[in-house]
Amino acid sequence: MRISTKLITITLGSAVLVTGLVTSLVVELQQVATGYAHILQGPVEQAAEARRVQANFLVQVQDWKDILLRGQNPVDLATYTALFRAQQAKVKADTLALADATDDAATRQLLKDFLVEDDALGAKYDAAYALYVTHDFDYKAADAIVRGMDRGPSRLLENAVAELNAHAVSSAAAQKVRAIRQLAILLAIVGGLFLIDSVVYCSVLFGVLKRLGQLKAVSDRLAVADIEGLSIDISGHDEIGAIGDSLKGVEAALHELLAVHAH
Amino acid sequence: MGILLMKRYEDIGHEMGAVGRMKLAMLTKMTSGTAEKAEDSVSNLKLVDDAILQLRKAV
Repeated sequence: MRISTKLITITLGSAVLVTGLVTSLVVELQQVATGYAHILQGPVEQAAEARRVQANFLVQVQDWKDILLRGQNPVDLATYTALFRAQQAKVKADTLALADATDDAATRQLLKDFLVEDDALGAKYDAAYALYVTHDFDYKAADAIVRGMDRGPSRLLENAVAELNAHAVSSAAAQKVRAIRQLAILLAIVGGLFLIDSVVYCSVLFGVLKRLGQLKAVSDRLAVADIEGLSIDISGHDEIGAIGDSLKGVEAALHELLAVHAH
Repeated sequence: MGILLMKRYEDIGHEMGAVGRMKLAMLTKMTSGTAEKAEDSVSNLKLVDDAILQLRKAV
């Protein structure tokens, strides 16, 4: 193979390797970004949603207290009852949506438990509300029915938030490990290919340099007509081989000239 | 032994002189001494004949 062909092949091989490396890194970067986006849209967003549900649940409890404290007036009663019912419905709908969205089984179970307890609490609220409006706004008797009963559901929501936070952290850690592993594999493959490319390049380079050295030695002897015992052994099917072959002709010609003059 | 080969070197020597022999050696990469020791093989004869043709064309 000609030296120019070898060098062009090695150069093109290196260019392909660099292009492959850059392309692979871009793809890898996109995969990492997609992975983190998935975590942000999944566990992280769900943890934030769970905190919103938790806050809305506390607002619901506060709305109940507003009914008891300020519901003696029919207009206020209607206003605070509407707010309470709306908040109650919102908490339930958001919790159901969150339970459907999450792929963490433990969180889903906690949310389902919350819904069960929230339904039970809702029944208590209904009973307390009925007592409140039928017993001359007896807020003490109404409060006695539901007092402290929001703590159980509230604790379940806290646990769900904590579980989702932990899930987000573990997902991010897993994503980091996955990204590092993929990068390591990619670098190992590309590094190996670069190593092979470098070995081939050095082999060609040292081969060429060695034969150029032989060529120079022959050329130096021909330049001073030192052809006694000169043996030109520069073979090969490349440019250096061709020059070596031509020098054999020069050497033969000099020998012939000397032989002719000797006769 | 390269009797036929040697004959060709001598002929070109008579025809073109020392320069012709030198050019023949250059083209074939073979001195007359080497030709004398070489086989009169088809390939060797063709190599020398082709070189002689080339020399005559150049003249």
